[in-house]
Formats: sequence, C-alpha cells, structure tokens
Amino acid sequence: MRLKFLSASHAFLLIASLSSLLPLFAKPPQTALGLDGKTLDPIKASQGKIAVLIFVRTDCPISNRYAPLLQQWNEMYSSKAKFWLVYPDKKATPTEIGEHLKQYRYTISALRDPDHSLVKLAGVTITPEAAVFDSQGLLLYHGRIDNWYEDPSRSRPAATTHELQSAIAAAISGKPVPLATAPAVGCYISDLE
Amino acid sequence: MTASAKRFVLLCLALFLFAIASTGSHADDTSKSSAESHVTFDRDLAPIVFRTCAPCHHPGEAAPFSLLAYGDVKSHARQIADLTQKHVMPPWLPEPGEWKFNDDLHLSPDEIALFQKWVEAGMPEGAASDLPRPPKFNAGWQLGQPDLIIHADSSFEVPPSGSDVYWNFIFRVRLEKTRYIKAIEIRPGERRLVHHANLIVDRSQSARRQEESPGTGFPGMELQIESESFDPDGHFFFWKPGTILEPEPPGMALRLDPENDLVLNTHLQPSGKAEKIQPTIGIYFTNEPPTKFPLLLQLENDRKLDIPAGDDNFVVTDVFTLPEPVSLLAIYPHAHYLGRDLLAQAKFPNGETKTLLHISRWDLNWQAVFTYTNPISLPAGTTISMRYRYDNSDKNLANPNVPPQRVVAGNRASDEMAHLWLQVLPQSLATESHDPRRVLQEALARHHIENNPGNFEAHYNLAAMLQARGELSQSIAHYQRALALRPGDPIVENALGSAHFALQDLPQAIAHLSASVKTRPDYFDSQYNLGLAFATAGQFPPAIEHLRAAAKLRPQDADAEANLGGALAANGNTQEAIVHLRRALELNPQHALARENLDAVLKDTKP
Repeated sequence: MRLKFLSASHAFLLIASLSSLLPLFAKPPQTALGLDGKTLDPIKASQGKIAVLIFVRTDCPISNRYAPLLQQWNEMYSSKAKFWLVYPDKKATPTEIGEHLKQYRYTISALRDPDHSLVKLAGVTITPEAAVFDSQGLLLYHGRIDNWYEDPSRSRPAATTHELQSAIAAAISGKPVPLATAPAVGCYISDLE
Repeated sequence: MTASAKRFVLLCLALFLFAIASTGSHADDTSKSSAESHVTFDRDLAPIVFRTCAPCHHPGEAAPFSLLAYGDVKSHARQIADLTQKHVMPPWLPEPGEWKFNDDLHLSPDEIALFQKWVEAGMPEGAASDLPRPPKFNAGWQLGQPDLIIHADSSFEVPPSGSDVYWNFIFRVRLEKTRYIKAIEIRPGERRLVHHANLIVDRSQSARRQEESPGTGFPGMELQIESESFDPDGHFFFWKPGTILEPEPPGMALRLDPENDLVLNTHLQPSGKAEKIQPTIGIYFTNEPPTKFPLLLQLENDRKLDIPAGDDNFVVTDVFTLPEPVSLLAIYPHAHYLGRDLLAQAKFPNGETKTLLHISRWDLNWQAVFTYTNPISLPAGTTISMRYRYDNSDKNLANPNVPPQRVVAGNRASDEMAHLWLQVLPQSLATESHDPRRVLQEALARHHIENNPGNFEAHYNLAAMLQARGELSQSIAHYQRALALRPGDPIVENALGSAHFALQDLPQAIAHLSASVKTRPDYFDSQYNLGLAFATAGQFPPAIEHLRAAAKLRPQDADAEANLGGALAANGNTQEAIVHLRRALELNPQHALARENLDAVLKDTKP
C-alpha cells in the first residue's frame, strides 16, 4: 500500500526537506544561518520535536505585535515543539537581529535566511507567517498565526480563529491538521528579494 | 467690605483636538508621466513619496520604517502598491470634496496607478537627474527652541500586548503671570505607540482630582474638564503622526493663566514590547493678547445611540441652525469603533446644501482634526447637520464585542459616541450688549437640552451663561435641573449658592454652598464663596473658618487673603487681620479692597 504518499505536496516537500538535510552539496550552500554565522537546519535541530518556524522582520509592525504571544507559546509548548524565528531580510545583520530579540524579549532561537531557502521550503510569502513541520520535516501547515489582522489596516480587538495553534495541537497529538494553509497578513517577503 | 466673588464653573466635555497644517503641493506632473510607458522612482514616485509618505516615514517619526530613498521604497514596494490601492496608506479619512484641507494626503487614482505600474515594471530607479530633493526634517523642535518646555511628571508603561490604552498626563504649567500661547509642540514620546494625542486646557485644575496621587496621570478615553470662565474653549491642540506644527493664526493666541493645567489625552497601542511613554510639550508665547476668539461648537446626539446587536446601518443625526454668522476654520468628527460613515453638511439660507466633511470609511485609529485651507463662511441661518452611520455587526472587524452586543453612548472604548466639533470664528464683533460667542453657546445649550432634557452639561452651561448676563431666576431654574440630574454635585451646589448670593438670598446661598463644601472640602470656590456669604450675613466666625480654608487651598490668591483679613477685622481679630491684609497686598499691590481695609484697620488701632 502506498496510499499515504499520495499527496503531491507532501512528496514535493519531502524532496525539499531532503535537500535541506544535505547541506554539503557542491553548489553554494542554500541554507539558513544561526546568528553565529554557522549553517543550521531547524528541522534537524528541533531534535525530534515539531518545528514551528515564524517568519518575521525587524521593521514589520504587525509581526512585532505578535512577540508576546509567540513568546508565551514558545514556553507553553517547549516540551513538544521547537519554535524558531526566521529573518528573511538579507540586510538584517546578526547584531540587528540580536538587538531586535532583546527589545522584544524573545528567547526563541533566531535564524537568518538570506537565500530564502526556508522561505521556499515553508512556502511562505509574508511576515509574520508560520510554518509547522513534523519531526520528519514534513510541512503540515503554513500560513497566518491567527485572524487578528484582516488586512494591514484592519485588526480585530482579538483574534477569533487560531490556525497556528490548532496546527501545533494537531501535530503534537499526531492528528491531521484541520487546515493546511490560511492567508497571512503583514509585509511581503518578496519585497526583500 | 465688598463681595468680589462671582465664581462660576462652566462644564464641557472636552475632546478637543487640533490641527495640523503643512506645506506641500500636489505633484502636478503625474498625468504627464503616467502617459509614458516607463515609470521610474526618481521621476514619478519620488515626488509622491516625499510629499505623502516621508512626513511620517523618516527616522524619529511614528512610522516603522523610512521612505526617503529608492532602496527604502524598493524594499517595501509590493506593500506600498497594495496599501495605496486599498486606500490604507497614506492614512487620510475625508473623501475629496469641495473644500481643501491642510495636509491633505489623498492620492489621486493616477497616483495610485503609478505604484502598480512601477512594481510591474520591476521597480526601475530611473535617472538621478530626475530625482527631486528629498525632504529635510528638523530633528529638534519644529519652530525652534520653545519658550517653555515641560515634561510629564511621570512616565506611563504601555504593556507589550493587549487592547489599546488611553492615558492622560497632566502638565502643571505654573506660570507666574498670564501669558498668551501662539503654538504648542506636543512630543508624545515613543511615537510608534501613539496614535493620537490632544491637549486640553484645564482652567480649574479639575483633572487633578482623577489622579491617584499627584503626577501619576490617569486612565480614560474621554476627558471631562470643568472650565471656569466665559471664554469657552476655542482651540484644538492635536497631535497625530507626521503632524507639522503651525502657529495659531495672528490674533488667535490662547490665554493661559498661572493656575491653569494642560492635560494631554493619549491613545496608545501596544507594540509587542513593554515601553515607557513620557510626553513633553514645548510652548511658544507671544506678547500679543488675542483679538479673535474662536469657539468650538459641538453637535451631538448621544441619546439616540442605542445600537442593536448585529445592526449594520444604524443612523444618528443632529441639526443645528446658526444664530450668528461664522467662519468655519476646522472640523473634528468623533465616533468610536462602530462608526462607519460620517457626514457633515451645511444647508445655506439660500437653500443650497454643501458637504463639509464626508468620511466613508471611518477608522478611529486615524482620527484627526481637519483644518480648511480657506475658512468657510457660514451666514446666520445656516443649518449644520451631521449624519453618522454605525455598523454593530460582526462584519465590522473593529467591533469590540464578539459576538456583537447592544451598544449605547458612553466614555469607554466599547461604548459609542456621535459628536461633531466645529471650530468657528464669529464674524461680528462682540459689543457690550451683544457677544456673538455667548449667543452661539446659549443657542447650542438650548439645542442640546431640546435633544436631551437629561443633558447635565447643557443645563449647567446654560445656567452659567444666564447667570453671567444677570438672568438669575432663569439661571437658578437650570441649575436646579442640573442638580436633579446629579444630586449633591458640589460644582452645581456652588453655582446655585453663588446665584442665590447674587440675588442676596443669603439663607439659600449658605445652604447650597455648605452642601458643596461638605461634599468637597478641598473645593476652593465653594469655601471662598461660603466664607463671603457668612461674612455678608454678619456671621464672622464661620466666615473666618471658610476663608481660612480657601486661603490654605490657594495660598497665592489675593482675594482670599483680603477677604479673610476683612472678616478677621470685623470680628475684632485686628492683629491677625493686619497679617492677612498685608499678605494680600504682597500678592497684589494693586488690591484696592485690601488697601482700603488695611488703612481702616490701622487707623482704628492707632491710639
């Protein structure tokens, strides 16, 4: 029976994640970097936990407003899920990112993604946008954190749907995620290319 | 001795905001360039970006990133194209109309299309020779070094997350003498958190009572300020991101007296990190006392605000006919989160109706005072109307209630409001017998009572105006209506007491003033008035007690010292009387009553 491999996107993503598992190809490394400048694969470094990647930008006010919530979830899920902040802006230096983490009191590990390899792997286009991978590197969810913002100028007093949290909860309990994706609102990553 | 006290208090709900004015003219070459196929930053976009984006998007200002150069704009290009097309940026609420506003940030359809075309073309930079000079922004005070800089007494910590916060800071100005303000620059502190701020004059230090301890500031979206005088507020002092400070027009300086406070009402939005806000204001004085006295007229119909849950088109209207010709200088609409479509119109005596302001997508976050580039002349008999539509359905994302609930008028963010403020300048000059501002205020108070017989402020204001022009029995009737609405209110009791005092009905005066003092022993006005009433009735021991209390509350008040000295003298406490009469003369060497009484006392004490 091969039924469980029927999903085309899963197959594609398996390949994609495989390439990220093999950083020592002959081509220049297309991969994420820790703030120390060393290459880092967040899926592998999540050590068997679910990997939650949050794509952010230092100057995106919407992603900044999520900082307290993300920090809270990072602590709440620490035994089951590993959170990563991913900065796709190639101009953001490790020092600037370190300062940003300090200002917003993030203790979540940060990554730089100057080549947008994680952006492509996760299929994200916006900051803030989240991606949830299982321990095998299979993409389970990518999209908005919740529906706090409807568009960059209109926000609800509080979110009424919580897509990322639902995805994390499902992934932890090994159940199918209720939604594979939901459109994110914020700043375009393509503006950083 | 002479009873020199006629203190009254004029109440008004203050939500006064102010205007912004600016330079900048519309880019006029857009039609030419949009006809060409190739859109470049340097030639086509830079003039628009520099005029409409850069005032906020530069270092130190409120916007989260700068838009001053090609690279800045390129790294937000799709964002800008998207948000300009959705009319989200630049933030500007009024629909284009017949009258121009200062600092108009509205983009024309052609201008918006340029951003789309530029992104489609791959964001070409263009030729450096086409690039206009980028705007220069003064990092310091906009009008140079202010005459007086005041920092808020303490900072307020905005939490990293949660709902919007409304906080008020009191600036204790402590002038030595009356001065005239020609401009105030508001520096709200960390600008990225502050959506808007309004500065309100508090002539009777009434906001101080809302502070937990002196200097802490206090919470609240709407401010209620008691204003003790008959120059009703006429100025907006408003800050929003990108505000370009303009001095008040010539002759329109604002009087500030030594005991006056300034209160800054701020709307703060958590940014994701804990931040401290400690605003500063810079005041510029002029030696020219004002010769023109603008007035803020308020249309409102809060009583009609009873919006059923789910109603997406609830309408509230108000109309007011001007009894005097005025020039309309600025307009400030105010609703909370359910407001959707706000319209203000004028129907002229010739039957013609014109729109003064139309906002089809109200957004509390971008509220502002809108100043007309050229004042609009409104003849006597012009009818001003407001028509506000509210959306209390779940389609309104800003709806504070999920699911929607019935909403009525109130001061909290989750309540609603239906207010329209007009800053007007009466066209006729005030004379002894005819003060156009008073005529306007009185007509407006009567209009508010007609709309809502339970309008406390309107009854109070009308009574105060009637009292000021000597219509004492009518005045007392309206004070009594106000007192029935707020039984025991110490301000009303004081006013009623002073009106009875003016009618020389001393028993009634003493009864009401005593009630006021009992409720609020630290209320200078009622202590002072009660002391005078007792003194006038020849009851000197209680007169001395209350005048002593008044003098203790305001040690710099020459009148209180003079009257205390007089009462002491009348009671035979000559030595102490001399001390207080001399103190009064120290405070005000020209105090005729103190001089007269002191001379009389000294003459009597001579052997």
